[in-house]
Amino acid sequence: MLHNKQEKRNDISIRVLQVTMITILLIITGRLIQLQIIEYETYGPLSLANSIRQESVSPARGIVYDRAGRMLVDNQPIYTITVTPANFDSKAIPLLSEYLDLDPKIIEERVQAARRYSWHRPTRLYSDISFHRFSQIQENIWKFPGIGYHVESKRHYPTDVNGSHIFGYLSEVTQQEYNSSRRYNLGDKAGRSGIEFVYEQDLRGELGSRYIRVNALGQSLGPFEDSQMGHSPVKGADIYTHIDYELQLLAEDLMKGKVGGVVALDPNSGAVLALVSSPDFDVDRLSGRIDMDYWLSLNADTTNPLFNRTISTMQPPGSTVKPLMGLMGLDFGIIDPNTVITCRGGFTLGRHYRCTRQHGRQNLVEAIQNSCNTYFFSLMNQTMKGVGLNAWHRHASSFGLGQLTGIDLPHERRGILPDSAYYNTHFGDSRFWGIGDLISVGVGQGTFSSSPMQMGLLAAQLANGGYRIRPHIVDRIVYPDGSYITQEYEKVRIPWVRDEHLKVVQEGMRKAVSEGSGRFYADIAGVEVAGKTGTAQNPHGIDHGWFISYAPYENPEIAIAVLVENAGFGSISAAPVAGLMMEQYFHGRILRNWVYNYVKTFTPRESDSNEEVL
Amino acid sequence: MAWYRQFDWLLIICWVLLFTAGLVAIYSATLGPVSQFLPDYIQKNFLNQVAWIGISIIALVAIQFTSPRTFQQISYALYIICIILAIATVIWGTEAGGAKRWLVIGGLRFQISEMLKLATILAVANYLTSRRDISTEHIGSALVAVVLMLIPSIIIILQNDTGTALILLAIIPVMLFWSGLPYGISLFLISPAIIAYFTVINWKLGVLATLVLSIAIFFIQKWPWLTSSAFIAGILVVIGVQVALYQVLKPHQQARIEAFVNPALDPQGAGWNVLQAKTAIGSGGLWGKGFLEGTQTQLRFLPEQWTDFIFPVIAEEFGFIGAGFLLLVFAVLLLRLLNIAGEHRHPFAQLVIVGVTMTFFAHLVINLGSAMGLFPVIGLPLPFVSYGGSAFLSYSIMLAICLNFDFYKREFSIYS
Repeated sequence: MLHNKQEKRNDISIRVLQVTMITILLIITGRLIQLQIIEYETYGPLSLANSIRQESVSPARGIVYDRAGRMLVDNQPIYTITVTPANFDSKAIPLLSEYLDLDPKIIEERVQAARRYSWHRPTRLYSDISFHRFSQIQENIWKFPGIGYHVESKRHYPTDVNGSHIFGYLSEVTQQEYNSSRRYNLGDKAGRSGIEFVYEQDLRGELGSRYIRVNALGQSLGPFEDSQMGHSPVKGADIYTHIDYELQLLAEDLMKGKVGGVVALDPNSGAVLALVSSPDFDVDRLSGRIDMDYWLSLNADTTNPLFNRTISTMQPPGSTVKPLMGLMGLDFGIIDPNTVITCRGGFTLGRHYRCTRQHGRQNLVEAIQNSCNTYFFSLMNQTMKGVGLNAWHRHASSFGLGQLTGIDLPHERRGILPDSAYYNTHFGDSRFWGIGDLISVGVGQGTFSSSPMQMGLLAAQLANGGYRIRPHIVDRIVYPDGSYITQEYEKVRIPWVRDEHLKVVQEGMRKAVSEGSGRFYADIAGVEVAGKTGTAQNPHGIDHGWFISYAPYENPEIAIAVLVENAGFGSISAAPVAGLMMEQYFHGRILRNWVYNYVKTFTPRESDSNEEVL
Repeated sequence: MAWYRQFDWLLIICWVLLFTAGLVAIYSATLGPVSQFLPDYIQKNFLNQVAWIGISIIALVAIQFTSPRTFQQISYALYIICIILAIATVIWGTEAGGAKRWLVIGGLRFQISEMLKLATILAVANYLTSRRDISTEHIGSALVAVVLMLIPSIIIILQNDTGTALILLAIIPVMLFWSGLPYGISLFLISPAIIAYFTVINWKLGVLATLVLSIAIFFIQKWPWLTSSAFIAGILVVIGVQVALYQVLKPHQQARIEAFVNPALDPQGAGWNVLQAKTAIGSGGLWGKGFLEGTQTQLRFLPEQWTDFIFPVIAEEFGFIGAGFLLLVFAVLLLRLLNIAGEHRHPFAQLVIVGVTMTFFAHLVINLGSAMGLFPVIGLPLPFVSYGGSAFLSYSIMLAICLNFDFYKREFSIYS
């Protein structure tokens, strides 16, 4: 009986337990059906969204070529370590600092900065690490939750041409730029000077997007292939410049250690063949990860290497303006080619303005050839009396003096070509101004100031028959789809220039090189060079040397302006630079090695500019 | 009858199917494409598990040749030894993942709590067998049995291993129930767990569950004192759980419960595990993504995917077909074990088999419930499937003892 009761009880217990277990297992099965069958539509996409992220892809920046199609600026891969703060574990910092060879404090700071940007998006932690370190971190990436990497590109300069003031440097976009433009990812770089700045919109290209697989640690596992989503970035446009590689290379070499600027133009189009501002900076060191020490040293340098002297410096042009003075005098009818002025060593009007020596009777050709100050003091005096300062100003302006040349480089300055308004503004309150302030302007001194680019333009326009041209570095912009824009500018005849007047001035410039002060260094074999030296008085130290020139005398192909600051006479400092460049341009090599050695070892000499303005 | 005809091959097949599924999932979770994100020592898990399965087969064979009476004879001694070792673990144990579970003796790591489960089941079964029927008149025996199970529970809680303690607490009412505890009292014993579960979701549901259970107890037993104490106890559980939730529990436990109630609240934090596990299971769909193709698994979105969250790995890569089959195998195993218990004549064997069945069942429910968001996340392995050598061995020993009782059920009877 007892036994039966026990058995009955056992049977019931088994039934109860079985029913309970089956019920609970059915509930679990029901939940499984709910999750896997009914809510599959919810969780399927969720798991995709989990592992697939949209990523913005920066485009490859456009490439810069010289006139012969030689690559001057291209892109190079750099390896960057990123951090996604939400997944990052601060405990990994010591190990990470060991792998990156970086102070843990710096890493901590950067992670903090990344947090301020976004918790869930990868931010650059360290750019431009060596491939060795990169591969070490890549192998051990599981030790660093939240740490990722990507390969970016930096500007690379494959040739020996530095071209810092042509190309310019880039730096990371600021938060404001990032916010205001859809064209950048944070950490992308934008051009800050040179053509990188001016043609930023073309070189930049357009952001693309792609879908990548990531793991739970936010590490990228490469593209998500099953998808046609996303779009490729549009590569930046390539830029073909007019830069002549050999000429640019030589000019940079010659200007090394000097302060000044060199501009070589095609007088027929305004194409810039070479442009050197010295001292320059190493563009390579400013690409990739910012070399802070170098950047600070550039900014602290008193010679200001970031300053583009070819377009931004303002120096008195000295005697290089004399050909233009003569041309204007002819047009104003104040002189004719046969007008003779006798030089007795100076010109007196209120005070004595000295010439370099007693030139005796000089016509215009001889005055240009010999750089006779007396002739141009007198001419300036008569011009002021005959037509006045403003008429003179208008005529000179039409050659681009005191004007922006419109070159495709940033931060150009117009210099000073004085007119009455200028004198009224600057002298009006303190004292009256008069002819006494203007005589020295006639020989490119006094308030007159201009840049090497403006003087190169003057030479080019005297050479090309009086056509106003616009200097420009870029020839054409070639877009990835093959279309292109050619940068061509109208050539406008300067209305008042007359060929017979120009002939006289050109003859004077030819003779200045063949027989005058340019004969030592600028008169090269095989090509007739025309030019004019200048020495600008510098009240703060040694005078600045100038030389403007063009060649061949008939049918000119190149115009060169050289400014060497604190170097004394233009004939011995600036003219040899132009002369060597002419040789390079026309002969493909330097013919006179002794001149090259002379320029390379040039040391400025003290000069008394009151005695000799060559 | 040939000896192999008396052997319960169905259980053996279930056992093999489960550890095979486990090996497949462990392989996928540690040696699949995911391995590039895992340290080397985790990538050794698969081979370790294979080795432990080998050891377990030896243990299974050895136990088969042991007399069933041996287990009854050694039960108290084993219980005391395990208790002492467990206390030693609390004092000298090695910490792993915030819990002191490992005792290192001579370079070997032992997880005593796994063995303690078996020892407790054996000891309680032995004690209850000696008391025979537990009815209202012998309620004192029931209390002794409860104390026998509470002691290891408390020690395990001191080891910070709440999950294992919950298993022991779940076994108490079932073993007492089997021993003849009146149905009403049995329901009364498990009612706190049910009430607590609903209270965690919402305290009003907890009160409702209290009312429903009290009425059910009244209809089963019709003892006013039991009904009223069930009601009072229920209300106390509701209040106690509320207090515990906000006062007693440690922040990480609170966060887990919070995440269970509302996983979307903190999807990057405590809700992460549940959300990712549910996503893995749900995105598996009917057919699954394929072996080594599960994105949640292979891209390391699942936490602890070779142990506590191994079920989502199977559900993701083999879909409802695979996960459902796994559930079916478990159901067959559990129901078959209950059947064996029912057919057996000896109360000790019955109690041990029921205790073991309940242990497996509780693990299964809590593990799957955690992964599917039915429970707050409680870290417990899925028996025979999850990675974990000493756990696998101890579950296999439990199963082997059941097989042994079944095999010798004629010789090992109440009359012998």
